[in-house]
Amino acid sequence: MSVIVDLPPTRPATERPGFLRRLFADYGQELVVLAAIIVLFAVVMLVNPRFISANNLTTIFAGNAYIAVAAIGMAMVIITGHIDVSVGALIGVLATISGTLAVAGYPVWIAWLAPVLVGMAVNACIGALVAYARIPSIVVTLGALSIMRGGLISFTGGTWITDLPPAFLIAQKSVFGLPVPLVFMVVLTVLAALWMRYSAFGRSLYAIGGNAEAALATGIPVERRTVAVFVIHGAFAGLATILFATQLQVIQSTVPPNLELTVITAAVIGGVSILGGSGTVIGSTLATILFATIGSALIFVNVSAYWLRAVIGLLILATVLADMLRRRGRL
Amino acid sequence: MRNRVLSALLALSFSTSLSHAQSAAWTGGDDLPTNPLACDATPATAAAKPYDGGSPTNAPDRKGKTLKVVDVPKLVGIGYFNATSKGIADAAKEIGTIDAKTDGPSKANIDDQITLIDNYITSGVDGILFAANDPVAIAPVLKKALAAGINVVGYDANSTPDARQWFVNQAEFNGIAKAMVDSMAKETGEDGAFAIVTSTFTTPNQARWIAEMAAYQAKCHPKMKWLETVEAQEDNILSFNQTNTLLNKYGDELKGVFGMTSVATPAAADAVTQAKKCGKVAVVGLATPNAMKPYVAADCVKSVVLWNPVDLGYAAAHVLRAVADGTLAPGATSVKAGKLGDLSVINGSEILLGAPTVFSKDNINNFDF
Repeated sequence: MSVIVDLPPTRPATERPGFLRRLFADYGQELVVLAAIIVLFAVVMLVNPRFISANNLTTIFAGNAYIAVAAIGMAMVIITGHIDVSVGALIGVLATISGTLAVAGYPVWIAWLAPVLVGMAVNACIGALVAYARIPSIVVTLGALSIMRGGLISFTGGTWITDLPPAFLIAQKSVFGLPVPLVFMVVLTVLAALWMRYSAFGRSLYAIGGNAEAALATGIPVERRTVAVFVIHGAFAGLATILFATQLQVIQSTVPPNLELTVITAAVIGGVSILGGSGTVIGSTLATILFATIGSALIFVNVSAYWLRAVIGLLILATVLADMLRRRGRL
Repeated sequence: MRNRVLSALLALSFSTSLSHAQSAAWTGGDDLPTNPLACDATPATAAAKPYDGGSPTNAPDRKGKTLKVVDVPKLVGIGYFNATSKGIADAAKEIGTIDAKTDGPSKANIDDQITLIDNYITSGVDGILFAANDPVAIAPVLKKALAAGINVVGYDANSTPDARQWFVNQAEFNGIAKAMVDSMAKETGEDGAFAIVTSTFTTPNQARWIAEMAAYQAKCHPKMKWLETVEAQEDNILSFNQTNTLLNKYGDELKGVFGMTSVATPAAADAVTQAKKCGKVAVVGLATPNAMKPYVAADCVKSVVLWNPVDLGYAAAHVLRAVADGTLAPGATSVKAGKLGDLSVINGSEILLGAPTVFSKDNINNFDF
């Protein structure tokens, strides 16, 4: 395993390769995923032009935006060398809090703000246990997963939240003709990507994930940063919850099965190394879009479900192969 | 390298949680023959079949004694199984000699369910009520319960017959299929095209219903067109996205959507509502009334098909009491179930709850589950 910190912008100015080569070196996996999305769109569009109708683009890009938003925070946590398997349960808890406040008559901005703040608070506890008590993050978050999933069902008794006020349902609205979930996804991805690439804080996360001891030796406050990255991840989980809870007219007390795995997978397929130290949030968002596109495409081209795994498996292999060739070329 | 392997594994599991699509031909989870009902209201004639359930080994005489009963549904925390456990509690209160509690996995996972049942066998109970997450996988642990002298009765989702004594059948598959397809034909017309949103193709109940719906539709509404069936897990947002994709793909051709689970049906109704297609695209489905009230009140959904799950739990508790007392023995043709009256024995070792209920604007507010 390499301890080389994969810091995209720190290439010495003396050897400046061409723009395209640098782009490919820094964003190889992201470009491959993007290319897969484009090829898929082109092929399915030829089979059935309705695939690129405005309605279907909304379904693909907005319908899964909450996964992409949650995957931004997850990518940051994984880049820092940790993991969070409790985010699905957290989103379930936050959705119930948000919906309960909305139905109780609180102003909708409170109902939207609450999941973000509670998400940050919950993850501050998780982050502190990971950073200061030095319990591996997978253990802490597995515990949190059970507590939150069990607690949610005990608390709600399994009843669904209905009669949500129309003003609360932000995911069903549009700004400048664009669905809100799409705007959330794009704006948050761009801001997070810039912040991760250009801020000292963002770059320190790559250093910690690459080699925590080396990072500590260079003066990075590893513990504080670890707590902070979990808190930020909690905020993204809260933002994802806003989209998740307002997409339909009812909020269920159960969350989609394996949501945490879906979010982790989006990050990993997008090029975030599960070992920490490399990857971008652009990749995680593109991977979410790729899988949403595959899901829709399979319906449009009438591919039998029994072919689905084969199709996805082939795509994964192609993606991974391209990435390996790229890395081999660079080393 | 570990990273690569892990990503491939994660991707495979990811694929199961995202969408699955299927072309029009139904290749469902089982190859059992279908048995569509008559197109009018003629009831089916049940062929007599010998008892094929199991029996407990050296069960103590429990006649009239208080029974310690555990109810293990597929999962806890959803409206449907809250309603069945309410029915069990109602019956327990009425009978007076049942001490029942509900304890199930927090998600519909067969491994968790097996572990739970195993723990209750060890801790010692008189009776087990269950709704199986997998009919075959649950059989060994239920047989272990029978071998320990415990009375075992299923409801909602069956196991293999010899792994339990009786199964309370909420509605025969062909009965539900008839109610669903008739409701759809009434709303879309005899030549309407429809699609189905289900949980997974291999979920036992849903697979049987769809097979029976196909048979009944071919027999009684031959001009209707079955476009496609899609999977949406037990995931509300995925169900919403899948319904949207169907609306986008077929445009005006699509006249109706069947929701096969209480998660898929409200999500499908929400998709139709948000696409402003209420009245143009009918939604008919299996769902709990509470989840469907907003859509029924908005006139977007006219028919919600389901049996009454409170009655189902209530009947299951009565059946367990009758089995423990010895009043329901192999060869019986009916059983008394309190306020539900006499329920008939079908298929050897099953008790039929009755015809399904179609909830509509007129009656949906009388139900709270």
